[in-house]
Amino acid sequence: MNNDAGLKQFVAKPARVPPHNDQSLVRRIHSRCFNTPGNSVLTIAVIILAWYIIRSALDWAVFDAMWNADTRRECLNISPNGACWAGVISWFNGLIYGRYPADQQWRVDLGFILAVMWLFPLMSKKIAYRNFILVSWIGLYPFFGAYLFLGGEFGAEVGIIHALFTSLAAGFFILLYANWLLAALNQPDLCERVRPLVAWLFPRGIQVICLLVVWGALSLPVALILSQMALEPVAIERWGGLFLTLIIATFAITMSIPIGVVLALGRQSKLPVIHWMSLLTIELVRAVPLITVLFMAVTLLPIFLPSDMELDKLSQVLFAVCIFSGAYMAENIRGGLQAIPRGQYEAAQSLGLGYSMTMLLIVLPQALRLMIPNIMTSFISILKDTTLVSIIGLFDIMLMARNIANDKDWIGLHTEPIAMISILFFIICYSMSQYSLNLEKRLKADRS
Amino acid sequence: MTLQNHLATAPVPPARAIEISGLNKWYGAHHVLRDISLNVAETEIMVVCGPSGSGKSTLIRCLNHLEEYQEGHISVFGNALQRDSQSERFIHQTMGMVFQNFNLFPHLSVLQNCTLGLTWLRKKSEREARDIAMSLLDRVGIADLAHRFPGQISGGQQQRVAISRSLAMDPKIMLFDEPTSALDPEMVKEVLDVMVNLAKTGMTMVCVTHEMQFARQVADRVVFMQDGEIVEVGPPEQVLLNPQWDRTREFLDHIL
Ligand SMILES: Nc1ncnc2c1ncn2[C@@H]1O[C@H](COP(=O)(O)OP(=O)(O)OP(=O)(O)O)[C@@H](O)[C@H]1O
Ligand SMILES: [Mg+2]
Repeated sequence: MNNDAGLKQFVAKPARVPPHNDQSLVRRIHSRCFNTPGNSVLTIAVIILAWYIIRSALDWAVFDAMWNADTRRECLNISPNGACWAGVISWFNGLIYGRYPADQQWRVDLGFILAVMWLFPLMSKKIAYRNFILVSWIGLYPFFGAYLFLGGEFGAEVGIIHALFTSLAAGFFILLYANWLLAALNQPDLCERVRPLVAWLFPRGIQVICLLVVWGALSLPVALILSQMALEPVAIERWGGLFLTLIIATFAITMSIPIGVVLALGRQSKLPVIHWMSLLTIELVRAVPLITVLFMAVTLLPIFLPSDMELDKLSQVLFAVCIFSGAYMAENIRGGLQAIPRGQYEAAQSLGLGYSMTMLLIVLPQALRLMIPNIMTSFISILKDTTLVSIIGLFDIMLMARNIANDKDWIGLHTEPIAMISILFFIICYSMSQYSLNLEKRLKADRS
Repeated sequence: MTLQNHLATAPVPPARAIEISGLNKWYGAHHVLRDISLNVAETEIMVVCGPSGSGKSTLIRCLNHLEEYQEGHISVFGNALQRDSQSERFIHQTMGMVFQNFNLFPHLSVLQNCTLGLTWLRKKSEREARDIAMSLLDRVGIADLAHRFPGQISGGQQQRVAISRSLAMDPKIMLFDEPTSALDPEMVKEVLDVMVNLAKTGMTMVCVTHEMQFARQVADRVVFMQDGEIVEVGPPEQVLLNPQWDRTREFLDHIL
């Protein structure tokens, strides 16, 4: 077959170094912006235009702006052509927390810090059961957050089940951090420590039972402590501002993936009922604007529910936003599913993996990874779409901003609050898109 | 060695691993498999060859339930195949399959590819699964690549990982569908070596391949297919060196 004995062995020449780039900055600008007369004119025109825009924007926002004033009148009297940031500043607290009582706002801060801290251990490579952390964040944290934000007393305003899950969530959080710390110190984790005891009591299923024992043991004292404390109840109607916007957006974003996966798989299903139900849901929801879905949730949902079950407006809105974002996500995920070659299914099948394992372990991880850019785009648009809930009267950041103009001290102050919100949204959305780029790069660096 | 000689020295075939009788398959109106009847004995190495489009892949995929068929019976170790989950589970426990284009899971490392089935289906502990997978990877000579991802290793290495992945499930029968035809010539040997070693361990193997060297070296029987029919079956000496049919001879002249 191979008769290359006579051939000389191929030896590659060393690669040549790329030509040295000795162009200076001035030369480079010259060769790119002023290389033809037309280009020169364009460059100069753009510079002048940019200068003009930036100048007037800066004049308005910074140089002529009023930072200290008691009323809008005062602003207008002193500097009629500048921004009146004083109004935004005096309402800033409202923009962030809505009408949440000022002395209770630490609970909102604490809630958000804990939510972020919950995900922190994911960055550590050493920690076990990483997926479990994400699942607990979706499944357990909301109970804890709801308790913290709503307040109330165990057994009174806080029902038994809610109290139970709140304690479990807190217990899990402590477990998570204890294990993380131990892992960082290269010590055996809590589960390993109680292992001999558990192994003696239950010879089978040690791993799971160890975890449950430690988790239960940590949750119990937390439950006792929390039941002695009574947080002041804060009604949902008082929630608002960025706080409410983030709650709705986070909820919609996290739920959109599972809902999207279920709908996308349903759409591919061979069972006609499931296929048509999923198809109908996706197409119906995608064919109407979010506002109508919101209105329908608020007006129609109470009709379908049993009359003794009353849903607050926030739950109705959450329901609507989740369905809406889930339907869009379903189409993203379907695109990812179609990109997975048939060989992957066949390989999984010949190993003996059933439908659910094939999907969970093989297909979905690849499909979601392929779709990261699209999914992130959806996340960002969900975040921005949530500002629509102000239309049905939830005091999210948008409605709070418009409220400023109704305040008798700041009557007619429209532009500054909107500018402020734009800046906030830009910061959040831009970080999200940077994070997604970063994630993509990291996954690519890992795999090929 | 003459044919008589071979038959005389051949050991009595052990129990039947696969029995196929009267297998017919159509794609629409296209009759792809015509009345295939074939038995594979335990520990037998069977090589299937034939021109492109003759239905080799279809046949081997029917054995593994990756493809449906309209007529005929297949039974594996005496269990008749049915389209139910129990039969399906039995089939996938008993048979491993290696594909032409590897079909490794690209989002999992080499090691994870091999331990996946052990931890999720055989319910082995992580450590146990790891030990089994590492010993298999060691056997095919790529233990040091265990933490790479499939996109970071060569085709020959990928195919060896795919073989280890199937072997990890401890199958009784291994099916190979042209395991070397997507590989560059210099990598073919490393994969064939693994297959030869596997054959020596007493594994029952059905290999679709055009590597006649391999067939001559380890095959107990060679099947020659054309247009969905089995044209010739017999020991490699007979089919490869002394084919009874013109079509076989033509084909062999072509590829040798
Ligand atoms: N999914 C399909 N739908 C319709 N026809 C198919 C399908 N798969 C295969 N065929 C046809 O069935 C016949 C047998 O195909 P098969 O893949 O089994 O051939 P093969 O012997 O494996 O060929 P090769 O050596 O090229 O792999 C071919 O004529 C092919 O066109
Ligand atoms: Mg083929």
